[in-house]
Amino acid sequence: MGNIEFNVDSVAKLAMLDLTDEERAMFAQQLPSIMAYVSKLHEVDTSKVDSSAYLTDLKNVMREDVAIDLSEDLRADLIKAFPSEKGGALEVPAIFE
Amino acid sequence: MEYKTAIDIRKAIEAKEITAVAVLEHYLNQIKEKDNEVGAFLEVFEDEARKQAEHIDEMVANGQSLPRMAGVPIAIKDNMLYKGKVASAGSQILEKYVSAYDSTVVKRLKEAGAVIVGRTNMDEFAMGSSTETSAWKVTKNPVDITKVPGGSSGGSAAAVASGMVPVALGSDTGGSIRQPASLCGVVGMKPSYGRVSRFGLIALGSSLDQIGPFATTAKDTALVLEVIEGIDEHDATTVELAETTAPEIVESDFKGMKFGVPKEYFVDEMDSGVKEAIEKAIELIKNNGGEIKEVSLPLTEYALPAYYIIQPAEASSNLGRFDGMRYGSRGLSDNLKESYLMARGTGFGKEVKRRIMVGAYVLSAGYYDAYYKKALQVRQMIARDFERVFNEVDVIISPTSPCTAWGLGDKFDDPIAMYLADIFTVSANIAGIPGISVPCGTANGLPVGLQFLAGSFQDGKIIHAANAFEALTK
Repeated sequence: MGNIEFNVDSVAKLAMLDLTDEERAMFAQQLPSIMAYVSKLHEVDTSKVDSSAYLTDLKNVMREDVAIDLSEDLRADLIKAFPSEKGGALEVPAIFE
Repeated sequence: MEYKTAIDIRKAIEAKEITAVAVLEHYLNQIKEKDNEVGAFLEVFEDEARKQAEHIDEMVANGQSLPRMAGVPIAIKDNMLYKGKVASAGSQILEKYVSAYDSTVVKRLKEAGAVIVGRTNMDEFAMGSSTETSAWKVTKNPVDITKVPGGSSGGSAAAVASGMVPVALGSDTGGSIRQPASLCGVVGMKPSYGRVSRFGLIALGSSLDQIGPFATTAKDTALVLEVIEGIDEHDATTVELAETTAPEIVESDFKGMKFGVPKEYFVDEMDSGVKEAIEKAIELIKNNGGEIKEVSLPLTEYALPAYYIIQPAEASSNLGRFDGMRYGSRGLSDNLKESYLMARGTGFGKEVKRRIMVGAYVLSAGYYDAYYKKALQVRQMIARDFERVFNEVDVIISPTSPCTAWGLGDKFDDPIAMYLADIFTVSANIAGIPGISVPCGTANGLPVGLQFLAGSFQDGKIIHAANAFEALTK
């Protein structure tokens, strides 16, 4: 692949990242060369390979969609780790006006 | 102190030649003496470690039988949860995150009577090959403090190499245990994918990550692995093991072992000193009963490009949870989206942002097939290549790193040069197979590491090879 199109601002938006001007300038220069390097993969003929297959024979593990009991201590420790909590629940900014 | 290995320490405690507290004090003193200069530890858990050591001494006094790692001091990497302790993964965004539970490896270390002395420095979210992307400090190579220790588990490697602990845990996504082990001159092992539980490990690339030991001997590596390995209900990728890695069953000669040397691993980019040391090691194995055969892994040069697509893709997804809501510092905005952007913008360092950007790009509409899907296909082909070679030989020999430890700061601003440091290690993660790095001499006064690889869940074979090699070189 020749020129790599890499729009730093649109990818930063997808990645939910606030970039400084310095980072924006640095990434505009570095990211296309990283993509050019990994594009080496296009030399490999993969037409006979199934990409959906995984390396191990593992299967998804499912469980019933029911709440699991939690000890009061663990619950308190988990809540303590929240950046913001209210009444024993995680507090987040409003999503709707 | 005359007891240097984990196995000797446990034996001496059991024989009442030394107490667990005296062992701990020895290592705490080493940390006090050396760590100002080396910078391996982010935090030392002095009080808890002392309590754990005292408990072992009580068990000895009461005549109780001692567990496998009784009284053995160990350090853990800063991305493994230890209840009540900060686990920051070397990142600003997790500066204040206190673990609410024990990771499976920590739980098993505690059950085995190990004494957890502290958490070690690492590249931010394990993204790096020099430990320089840590938000907290720079760790230096104890062999030469003007050099990097390698990474991302550079703190654990430096802690073992400087004698501040006999053993430590690291995590290896693309070489993060083996490469720093090589650069610091110690033993480091990445087990087969699925051998050690990742429950309570802060994830980087979930299909690649594995926790493993640092040690000064192959048998200590076997001991630590034996303690942490095995099926775990909290990690669905772990499996029931057919055999453990107990040090008692590790053999010490090359009799009957077939080694493969892949010609693709002897590339021009390799330092001549490293090449010389590896060739000497291969000669030594050959002269001591090992059968050496040239083999071919034709897709070797594509492993690193595949890795630097799959790993950033998985990382960008895994790190989505760090948005200031559930973890990290909240951005100071009433607007939800602005709050996300601020928390992530200020909480993550440059390398983390760089990889999240690459990951978001290769997973985005229009590029997914060309990059991510392609990389998964190449991954399949690389794994099959290894399977074919392991039908012919037991163990593959290669260098661990193309170079010895480089100067602090030398590659910091050149991401591709930094990524190339992983060129010989990423294949094992791509294929899910085990790899170990053992010291094999020096080049320009700096340690060189020899890597042994084996087929999936043949971890015992590389420990065996490492132990036999060690017997010839120590």
